Amino acid sequence: MSRRVVITGAGLVSALGDSSESLFAALCEGRRAHAPIQGIDTSGLKSRTGAAIQGFVEKTYLGVKNMRPYDRTARLVLAAARLASDSATLTIDDLKQREAGLVLGTMFCSVRTIAEFDRRAITAGVEYASVMDFANTVINAAAGQTAIWYGLRGLNATICGGLASGLQALGYAADMIRLGRSSLIYAGGGEEFSFEGLLGFERAGWLSTEAECPVPFDSRRDGMVLGEGAALLVLEDSDSAAARGAVVKGEILGHATGFDRSRGKDVQTGAAALERCIRGAMAEARVEPASIGLVSVSANGSTTSDQAEALAIGAALNSRAAAVPVMAVKAALGEPVGAGGALQTIAAIEAMRQGSVPGITGLAETGDSFPLGAVSAFTGPLQASTALITSQGLDGNCCALIVRGT
Amino acid sequence: MTGRIVVTGIGTVTSIGTGWREFWANLLAGKSGISRIESFNPSRYPCHNGGEVKGFDASRHVRNLDASQLGRASQLAIAAAWLAVDDAGLDLSAIPPDRAGVSVGTTSGEPVLIEQLNDRIVANQADQVGAEFLGQYPCHVIAAHVAEECGLGGVNLSIPCACAAGNYAMSHAFDTLRAGRASVMLAGGSDAFSRITFTGFSRLGAVAPERVQPFDKNRKGMIPGEGAAMLVLEPLEQALERGARIYAEVASYGLSCDAHHMTAAHPEGDGAARAMGMALREAGLAPTDVSYISAHGTGTPTNDRLETIAVKRVFGDGAAAVPISSAKSMLGHTMGAASAIESAICALAVHHDRIPPTINFETPDPECELDCVPNAARETRVDVAMNNAYAFGGNNSTLLLKKCVH
Repeated sequence: MSRRVVITGAGLVSALGDSSESLFAALCEGRRAHAPIQGIDTSGLKSRTGAAIQGFVEKTYLGVKNMRPYDRTARLVLAAARLASDSATLTIDDLKQREAGLVLGTMFCSVRTIAEFDRRAITAGVEYASVMDFANTVINAAAGQTAIWYGLRGLNATICGGLASGLQALGYAADMIRLGRSSLIYAGGGEEFSFEGLLGFERAGWLSTEAECPVPFDSRRDGMVLGEGAALLVLEDSDSAAARGAVVKGEILGHATGFDRSRGKDVQTGAAALERCIRGAMAEARVEPASIGLVSVSANGSTTSDQAEALAIGAALNSRAAAVPVMAVKAALGEPVGAGGALQTIAAIEAMRQGSVPGITGLAETGDSFPLGAVSAFTGPLQASTALITSQGLDGNCCALIVRGT
Repeated sequence: MTGRIVVTGIGTVTSIGTGWREFWANLLAGKSGISRIESFNPSRYPCHNGGEVKGFDASRHVRNLDASQLGRASQLAIAAAWLAVDDAGLDLSAIPPDRAGVSVGTTSGEPVLIEQLNDRIVANQADQVGAEFLGQYPCHVIAAHVAEECGLGGVNLSIPCACAAGNYAMSHAFDTLRAGRASVMLAGGSDAFSRITFTGFSRLGAVAPERVQPFDKNRKGMIPGEGAAMLVLEPLEQALERGARIYAEVASYGLSCDAHHMTAAHPEGDGAARAMGMALREAGLAPTDVSYISAHGTGTPTNDRLETIAVKRVFGDGAAAVPISSAKSMLGHTMGAASAIESAICALAVHHDRIPPTINFETPDPECELDCVPNAARETRVDVAMNNAYAFGGNNSTLLLKKCVH
C-alpha cells in the first residue's frame, strides 16, 4: 500500500453549477438549489420541493448525438466524466492506453429505467418492453455506458452503500491505486432525481415537510430535500501523474469505512461507527486532529443522522472540534445521494484552494452541547491544507476520507 | 500486502441444494435445478422454465431480523451467510464487530420490490406504499441486512456489477483483508428470481425453452435462476490459529471492462483475456498451472463462442487440455449470485479434487472446442481453479483459487 493517490482532475454537474469554481461560488454566495419539483408526477406525494438540476442540456457536454440509449443517471455521469477528462487534460486515447478504471457510487442508479421497463411490460405487454431499456436496467448501467463512451477498459465497479456510496467509491478507488491494480481511475458517484427515490424517501419519513427546515445541524431541522447530480474525481498514482506532467489538485491520504449496526436507529451507536471511521482514516493518513483544517460533512437536515455525524466528529477530533471550520454542501444542494461524497470532496478541495469556507446557509441555531463550535451560516476565511470528509448514511453505512489540498 | 487470504466457510442456497454438502453432491451428480416458474405466472412469455429455489423458507434461516420485512435477495444472502459462518466454525462474538465486514454482489438488488411497487401503481394503490420500499429496495440493503442480522460492524458494501458481481465482491473482500481493513469478511452474491429479469432476457431472445446446454452445438440460450452464496474469507494465520478447515487460498484476481457494448461481449475476447492474464500474472502462474476453469458458460450461442475465443487467447494450444465446465447448465444463470456460487464451486473443487460436469451436452460445437467436462463429474487433482464471469456493461472478472500449502 505504498503508492500515493493524487487527484488530477474533477468533473461535476450539480444543481448549482458544473465546475468546482461555479459550485463553490454558489456555496459561498449562500445560494440554494431548492425549487418546485418539475417533470415528475407528484400528485400522490406530499413533497413539492426538490433540488434537481434545472435545464440540464447534455449536448453542452456530449455534443450532438442520439441520447435515447442513455437514462438521466447515465447522462449526468457522462457529462461529469467529460468535464473530469478536460480538467485532468486526458484524451480518450490516454484513457484507452492506460486501461483507466471507473468506480461509481450510487444508491438507485437506474431505478427509473427499471421501473418503467417493468410497467411497460405489465401494462402494454411483454413484447412492448424495450430491449434497449433492458440493457440499462442493470444497476451498473451508467458505469458501463460511461466506460463505452470514454474507452475505460480497466476495472469497472459500481458501489452501493446507501447515502455513503459516493465516499465509499472514492475509498475503494484509492485502494485500487495504492495496491497497484490501476494507475488511473475516475471515481465518484451519480444519481438522478427519480420518482421512485422521492417516493421512497418520503414514505420512509426522511424528507423535510413543506415549508419546514432542511438545514443541516439546525435544531429546527426536520429532514432533507432530495437532489441529484454526478461528480467524478480523477485519481492517479503520483508517479504516473508526475510522468505525464499532470497538475496535482489534491491527494487522498487515507480512508476508512464502517457500519452502524443499529442502522440509524440509535444515535450513539451510529456516532460510534463513524467515529471509528474517522479515527481509522486519520491513522492511515498519519494526521492528528490538530492538523485537520476543514471538515466537509454529509449532514443534510436529517434529525438523527446529522446528530450522529456531529457527535462522531466531536468525539474523534476531541478538542479540535470546537474550532475546526465545517462546511455542509447539502444545505445548498439538497441530498444528491450517490453524488454526495464526491461533491463534498471537490468542494472541500476548492475551499482549501480559495481560502474560504462556505457558510451553512440558513443555519440559525444548533442547540446546547453541539460539539462543532465553528459552524456558521456565513462564509468566512479558511487556512487549511488537510480536510476530513465524512459520510453518515441514514441506515448504517458510514465512511471517512482524509484529503490534502494544494 | 503480503498477507495470504483463505476460504474457511462456504454457504450456498441454490435450486439444487441448501448448504454446500447437498449442493456439491447434486452438482457432481449433474442434477438440474431448472423447473417451471412458480413465483409469477409465466404464461405471457414464450418460455416457462426458470432456476428458482423452490421451498425456501426464510424463517428457518433468519435468526434475528423479521424475515417478513426482508426482500428475497436479502433472505437468500442471510441464509447463505449463516450457513457459511456455521460451516467455518466462526464465533463472531470473538471478533471485534468493526473488524468483521460484508461484501455482496448482486445484479438487480431487490427487484421484486419494484415489481410490487408497479403492481400498486398500476392498480392505483400507490398510496399504500410505505416505509418498506426504501427499507427493502435499494441494493445496499442486502449487505446491510446481512451485517445487521449477523452483528457485523466493519466494512460493508454491495457491489452491483451485474453478472460479474460475485467475483467483484470476492475480490473486494480479498483486498480489504490484505489491506488489514478487516479480520474476517463474508463475501458472495445474491439475486432473487424476478419478472423484470425474465422479461428482459425473454425480449433479448436469449432464454432457452427447456434446458441450458453450454458449449453444445444446438444450445438454445440461458435460463434465469436465483440463489446465493457467501464465503468466509480470513487471513491464513488466523485460520491456522483457530484450527479452521481451509478450503482454498485466494490467489489473485483480474477485472476489466470491454468498453465495447452494454450487452454483447467483445468479439475478440479482449477484456475477458485481459482479466485472465491479470489474475495469472498477479499469482505468478502460467496457463498450464490452471487445473480447472469454471466457465461463465451461460448457454447462449454468442457467449459460449466468444468465451471459447477468450480462453484460447490466453491458453493457446493448451486450451483444449484444461477442463472447463458450466454450473449454469444445472442452475441456470443466477445473475449476481452466479460468480459467488461458482467461487464456492472452485473452492470445493480445489478442496475435494473433483470437477463438476456441464450437463445436457450432446453435440460438440466446432466453435467451442474445449473440454467442457461433458455430463459426468471428474476426479482429478485441482491445484488451481479459475473462476470467470462476464457481465452487462462489458465487465469481465477472473478469480483464482488454489490449494493452500503451508
